[in-house]
Amino acid sequence: MTPSPEGRPQETDMELINRWRAGDGRAATRLVGRHSQALARFAASAGEREGIEELVQDTFVRAFASLDSFRGASTLRTWLFTIERRLMLDRRRAERRSRETVPVEETDHVSEYGALDGLIAEEAQERVRKSLDALSPTQREVFTLRVQQGLSYKEIAEVVGSTEGAARVHYHNAIKTVKEFLKDE
Amino acid sequence: MNKCTDSDVQEMLPDLLHRALAEGERLRVEEHLATCESCQEDLDVLRTVKSAAVFAPSIDVDRVVRQIPPYRTIVPAVERPARTRVVSWLVAASLAIVVLGGGSVLLQSNGSPASNSPRYQQLPNRIAKAPEATKPGSTEPVVVPMAVVQPSIAPHPHALALAADADGLSDGSLVQLMNDMDGFDALPGSELDPVISVDSGDSL
Repeated sequence: MTPSPEGRPQETDMELINRWRAGDGRAATRLVGRHSQALARFAASAGEREGIEELVQDTFVRAFASLDSFRGASTLRTWLFTIERRLMLDRRRAERRSRETVPVEETDHVSEYGALDGLIAEEAQERVRKSLDALSPTQREVFTLRVQQGLSYKEIAEVVGSTEGAARVHYHNAIKTVKEFLKDE
Repeated sequence: MNKCTDSDVQEMLPDLLHRALAEGERLRVEEHLATCESCQEDLDVLRTVKSAAVFAPSIDVDRVVRQIPPYRTIVPAVERPARTRVVSWLVAASLAIVVLGGGSVLLQSNGSPASNSPRYQQLPNRIAKAPEATKPGSTEPVVVPMAVVQPSIAPHPHALALAADADGLSDGSLVQLMNDMDGFDALPGSELDPVISVDSGDSL
């Protein structure tokens, strides 16, 4: 157990998991409360614009359904990111398929644009978003996991299904691109 | 501005932002930052990106938790105790042995009715006489009587295998045997017949 900011001992994720297994529903609430915002930020940084709450909810439902397969080799948050990323990929594949069959209408562009305008309030956020858009999907995932979530290369490699070396390369290429983009703006 | 060559420090910059460095590492990075413009610039970029995190909606925790089924309803279907799995394997192995063993018994018993037919009962007696010429010490050619192999009776194809073991037969016996074989009926079709057990050795 680690001390909480209030001085109370804070239960680890594994302790909360064991409590939930023992039938304590409040442990699930603690776990969801602890990790849900990080999952939402990761989804938004990775380019998700709509249905982020549903995505986070699906991530937790799947994670709790297969919690017996979580052995604690990585942190729970890293494991959750991995599940969420797979769900995002599934969602994108489904969207691609539907785009191939259903023609995109003009109103779709307008509504997407309006939603983006609403999401990004500050100028700095707009600049950062644009710089992240200049990255490849994998570079963006690696960069945001490293900079915004503070994950190690080992954890990032686990989430994106790659190696630590590849994650390092993606990070260095990403920071170079972002730096140049922000300098030019 | 010179490009920084200390890749270790470059890689630790995000950890510095997240206060994830040990005391010694933090001091080393801060010392380096005091003299390296490139790393200072990198750190500024990282701070901007971190503080300007893309907007994400706040998550309704209770709503998410309501969708999670209780642990008890998930577990039983997922994993069975190891002992149950071992027992299942033993049952499967026993069944396999019974099926294979029974199959071989059936195969053998399928062959036996044929050997009970009068046609095959005569064969050992008739053919058994020919190899007598192979007995050691026997120098006189043995003439196989015509009654031994009757052309009107078609021998089983495997009976011919006996003739293949005729190295010790004299020329006369072989000629006689071949003449007798000319009188055999045609072999049955392509369908294989069950193996006929023929006494070898003592009865010959």
